[in-house]
Amino acid sequence: MSSHLRTFRLAAWLGWEMESNWTEPWLFAIYSVIKPVAGAFILVVMYLSFTFIQPPTAGMEAANQARFNFIYVGNIFFIFVAATLFGTFQVIQADREWYQTIRYVYMSPIPFYTYIVGRAASKVAVATFAAVITLLFGIFFLGVRVSLDLAEVPIFLAALFLGLLCLVAIGVCLAALSFITAKHVHGLAEGIPGMFYLFCGVLFPLSVLPGWGQGVGKIIPLTYWFDLERRLILPPDTWNYVSTSLPTDNLYTLALLLVSTLAFYFLSILLFRLGEHLARKAGKIDMTTAY
Amino acid sequence: MTATVNRLSLNLRAMFGRSYPRVIGMQREPSWLFFETILPLLGIAAYVFIYKGFFLGLDADPAANERLNAMIGFVVIGGTMIAFWLNVLWSMASQLYWEKEMGNLALYMMAPMSRMALLAGMAVGGMFMTGTRAIVTLVAGIYVFGVVLTVTSPLLILAVFFVTLIALYGMGMMLASLYLLWGREAWHLSALMEEPIFLVSGFYFPAKALGQSIALGASIIPATLGLDALRQLLFPSKALSGIWILPPDTELAILLVLAVLFLFLARASLAYLEVLARREGRLTSRHQ
Amino acid sequence: MAYAIETKDLSRLFRRKLPLFKRRKSEGEPVGDTQALDKVDLQVNEGELFGLLGPNGAGKTTLIKILCTLLLPSSGYAAVAGHDVTKDPFPIRRQINMVSGGETSGYGLLTVRENVWMFSQFYGIPSKTAKDKIDELMKVFGLWDKRNEKVRGISTGQRQKMNMIRGFVTDPSILFLDEPTLGLDVNAARVIREYVHDWVKKQKGKTVLLTTHYMAEADLMCDRIAIINKGQVLACDTPENLKKKAGQDSTFRLEVDPLKQTEPFSAIAGVRNFSVNSDIVKNTMKLTFILSDESAVSDIMSSVMAQGAKIHSLQKTEPTLEDVFVAMCGRTLE
Repeated sequence: MSSHLRTFRLAAWLGWEMESNWTEPWLFAIYSVIKPVAGAFILVVMYLSFTFIQPPTAGMEAANQARFNFIYVGNIFFIFVAATLFGTFQVIQADREWYQTIRYVYMSPIPFYTYIVGRAASKVAVATFAAVITLLFGIFFLGVRVSLDLAEVPIFLAALFLGLLCLVAIGVCLAALSFITAKHVHGLAEGIPGMFYLFCGVLFPLSVLPGWGQGVGKIIPLTYWFDLERRLILPPDTWNYVSTSLPTDNLYTLALLLVSTLAFYFLSILLFRLGEHLARKAGKIDMTTAY
Repeated sequence: MTATVNRLSLNLRAMFGRSYPRVIGMQREPSWLFFETILPLLGIAAYVFIYKGFFLGLDADPAANERLNAMIGFVVIGGTMIAFWLNVLWSMASQLYWEKEMGNLALYMMAPMSRMALLAGMAVGGMFMTGTRAIVTLVAGIYVFGVVLTVTSPLLILAVFFVTLIALYGMGMMLASLYLLWGREAWHLSALMEEPIFLVSGFYFPAKALGQSIALGASIIPATLGLDALRQLLFPSKALSGIWILPPDTELAILLVLAVLFLFLARASLAYLEVLARREGRLTSRHQ
Repeated sequence: MAYAIETKDLSRLFRRKLPLFKRRKSEGEPVGDTQALDKVDLQVNEGELFGLLGPNGAGKTTLIKILCTLLLPSSGYAAVAGHDVTKDPFPIRRQINMVSGGETSGYGLLTVRENVWMFSQFYGIPSKTAKDKIDELMKVFGLWDKRNEKVRGISTGQRQKMNMIRGFVTDPSILFLDEPTLGLDVNAARVIREYVHDWVKKQKGKTVLLTTHYMAEADLMCDRIAIINKGQVLACDTPENLKKKAGQDSTFRLEVDPLKQTEPFSAIAGVRNFSVNSDIVKNTMKLTFILSDESAVSDIMSSVMAQGAKIHSLQKTEPTLEDVFVAMCGRTLE
């Protein structure tokens, strides 16, 4: 256990240094905010485009506001998805292709799985900061309404924690893939989050997707994570205008999230070992594939 | 004259030489087919479903339906152009950062070839991958989401497309010069030029939705006017008038100017920043 | 007379950029600027195989980078093939190439042959000419069997051979070799040395500037050697003349028990310079003394015994290039 803790701490420190020491702290803070806020603004403008498609009729304000809240809050939690997934699976490619340190790290007596998780921790920290800023921005400048009962704070935090664990596990599954694939970090960085963007009901209710799409979404634990966090944060009247076709019992959803997170955790260990084994067998642990 | 021919021959060979690893790399590591074509479609699909999801049952309102079709088409075309923008950012501009990390940059800078030939080689070499991604996005987007386009002026569409590309790649060469001097700062600058540029250039919606002034300001990025012109030409319906920045002819003219300007600026900035980087000793310093 | 390489008062200062919010200073953190080169004057004749010797951090690589047009000098003048490196880099680039030891350039995905061919294209060499030359060099350097192997699958030594081929394939007038035999086995290193020597001597107008840590290599190959330390050229002459200068002094080598203090040796009259190396396996210290007066030996031995250490061996040797180096730099070439 102490080896894991030590490795995690060291990797987290390294990840933070690599993440932040390229510039002054204040500039780093601005950079960390601009990207997610710009991403949120894309949705704001798309939302405004709705009025172009169908000019609002009287009495639609509440429905429009509910939909906007739905999209905006979904996007806030998506910040974690993009950052955590990218932060996890790019560790191997970065250490292998850019810094060429992977062979030295890999052969040292540390749990490599934990090392990757530790390296991703800095991305999660930055994502948390960006998510909070984006939420506050939405509340104070864009009229986003949120409401979280004090009694629901523990379940909110528990869900947040489980969701992040699940993300890390999924990220490690992707890292396992990157053991044996060429340098396609940006293809993965864009594509995998895109898959969740589509199937997890981030920006639109799952019920919008065709039947098979809904089926895919219901298998992905993040779907429940987004749904639960949104239900806890958004005002109750939101659900008068938006229907997700997912279970509405919070504890049940949390339990689903727990089970699926555990399942992904074990899957990640399996895939990680497999990817590692295949890479060692083929001599690809420290291959360079840049072109 | 002989010196000019020799220089041209040198730079053409250099361009061919640098494009070679890209071309061969695609053949030897075919995993890009999945990562660069299938996966990006998912992100675009998500944006399409935002529009579709909140406007189910618009069949009874043909005008609204037409506008919805156009908005979805905008997303598809924007997604197509994203392929080129990301290629400019990551496979050209920031490529010099990777080359520095791998130890190739010093050898490139020591060679007598033009820096623009080097960058052009990277662009040309990656064009097949980027082009494949763009075509798959466009075709799949049209067929899967049922977008209805009207091709009224095919020559003008091609002209806009290619001039936009040249201007975009010229801009990419200009950005690449930053990497001679900077290291990770430039990499993060490239990362910063994804979502904010998607926003102000209107990759997923008409740029004029941000206001005419902002749209005009954003026109310095070739993708803004390029997308606007392409959308006007592919969705010429009068129901959509009022959402465009400028007429397509005017936008093409401005794009031509931008193309020349960026190529000129690229040449100047590459030369200038190379001198700066040599002065500061940054051409060979890794992990900056 | 036009030199292949010429420098006058060449200096290079690296300024250290301090962060806006200064971090806590840790021990060993460098402070201040670094004077990498300090008024270096060198002239390398055309057709010469010129060596540059110096410890780590002496400024060898900085000098090579300036001459290869990768770095600008802070002051002074440098010219390669008659062209100023600051004002006129382009014509220089057509005529030079550089190979560094331990270089990791190229793309792992390409074969050995493809990598070298690619770099040849940056010099405008017609494909057929380049390919023929590559094949010829591959046979010379013993890499023919690996020509179609991907670079990521070859060994470090084979990679270095590939780098050497890359250096020669463009047929430069001036070749910069920065520790070129690093990572090579004895046989391969010998092949390279012979090839480099023949390349310079049997062809007109070829010049090589070589940096190396291997004294024997420099002694064997170089027409002239410059010894550089802390950015300054301490001596520049043929190996024979350098050794003769050192021959005016005597060289004594002692092997003793580990000593607590070595500073007292500097104060002994007749000691021009000395170096200390620890042998961890044998738990001894090896001391090399350059003496202007051999009678200093007795004082040295007294100083060793005063510290309670035993003397395991003592020998007087003929001056080598290493002794020249120690005499000038006060240390061996690590």
